[in-house]
Amino acid sequence: MVLVVNESFDDSSHEVAGHPERPDRLVAARTAVDDLHLDGDLVVVPAHSATREELVRVHIGNYLDELSAYCYSGGGDIDQDTYATLDSFAIAKYAAGSGLAVIEELQRRNDGVGFVAARPPGHHALADRAMGFCLLNNVAVAAAALRSQGERVLIVDWDVHHGNGTQQIFWDVPEVLYVSTHQWPLFPGTGLVSEVGGRHATDRTVNIPLPPGATGDVVRRGIEEMAGPVIDAFDPTWVLVSAGFDAHREDPMADLRLTSGDFAQMARSVSGYAPQTGRLVMFLEGGYDLSALRSSIHASLSTALGQTYDGESASNGGPGTEQIERMRQARRSTIELLHASDDEESTP
Amino acid sequence: MKPFENIVVGYDGSHDAKVAARWAMEAARDCGAVVTIVHATGLREHLHQKYVLDVTPPELIELAQECAFELNGLHWLVANGDPCSVLLRMASPPTNADLLVVGSRGEGKREGLLLGSTSLEVAEHAPVPVVVVPSRYVER
Repeated sequence: MVLVVNESFDDSSHEVAGHPERPDRLVAARTAVDDLHLDGDLVVVPAHSATREELVRVHIGNYLDELSAYCYSGGGDIDQDTYATLDSFAIAKYAAGSGLAVIEELQRRNDGVGFVAARPPGHHALADRAMGFCLLNNVAVAAAALRSQGERVLIVDWDVHHGNGTQQIFWDVPEVLYVSTHQWPLFPGTGLVSEVGGRHATDRTVNIPLPPGATGDVVRRGIEEMAGPVIDAFDPTWVLVSAGFDAHREDPMADLRLTSGDFAQMARSVSGYAPQTGRLVMFLEGGYDLSALRSSIHASLSTALGQTYDGESASNGGPGTEQIERMRQARRSTIELLHASDDEESTP
Repeated sequence: MKPFENIVVGYDGSHDAKVAARWAMEAARDCGAVVTIVHATGLREHLHQKYVLDVTPPELIELAQECAFELNGLHWLVANGDPCSVLLRMASPPTNADLLVVGSRGEGKREGLLLGSTSLEVAEHAPVPVVVVPSRYVER
């Protein structure tokens, strides 16, 4: 039982007073790791600042130049949600590089579970644009590195917001399967069932939008019934989790009703998709209620590591169960239509 | 050229957004178009809702009256997303905007920077014409 986490880097100067994406989130995440009492089974890898070569696999060079210049000229608001400070570019490069360092250690050990507690989060960052608190797409940088090594990467995104950046970056990439559960409607407005991937990667995006009030049983059923068969057919060699914890019922940023116990169950279920130990990494995304964040991270990591979790019970009974089968059928119809349209185009 | 029929304006309550809304209403008044004013609801607005779907901000109604623009041609929309993505979506069904209008700078933006400039991003990616209305615009 080994948990590999990145060494903390100083993220304290990526902060704006009153903003919910704040350094205290990482304090809560690190406390959750302490709560596991792993002692010698905890491996801390040195922080790594992502290089330009590692970043341009997912971000365009012009964007990196603009972001760098913006930060080094003092920063400011990028949009109504997203800010940058003088140090944000340097800090974001550490956040993006952390996943790479953790993956390298897991490859060396062939054992354990990785956890990347870094900020700013990443899954909203597009190839050419910051948004939704995110500057660089941390999980995408890691997935792209694995892809370059010939791996097939499953990304499960259980943050309450759709990871539009990750979806966009891998939209037409058949070696990466993106699965997202999220509240809908909600920011960023993407993540419909009909978004199934690009022409060369049809079926490599699985969106499971859920109504406000949905509980853990609905989320788990969505993953099992809509994504399960696709994941089995894809047969991933690595599993990365965009682990946001803002679907927790105490989180102020959304309206799902999950508990820490639900995250424990989801972590157990997602761990099962990894082909062997040492091939699962969780990346911190959202989660803004510090107590819920701490307990949910603890729950997720403990079950991913095979420990017994005896905290908050899993939730059930919320709305959305009835729409899972409809969404599954709608998704299948969309894919059939896209295949038929491709066949027509290829007919002379 | 076919006159514009469906003009969409990005709105965040800032001075520049109001100037853009004024320009759009004046243009629509003269060419018989409808105007949809759209507010992009960001992540943080879940904490402090700034605008709601069913209530057109009173300042926009006042603006329409000042411009002699018929209120039945004014639509108000609140959509989830960042301003750039939301505006670009407006050019697709069901809204089908044929002209997008933005102010030159949104709330809290620094002057002269490319990053975070909704107007530049929209102008670069939109499939329909885009008008960027300068801060100091007044009707001639």
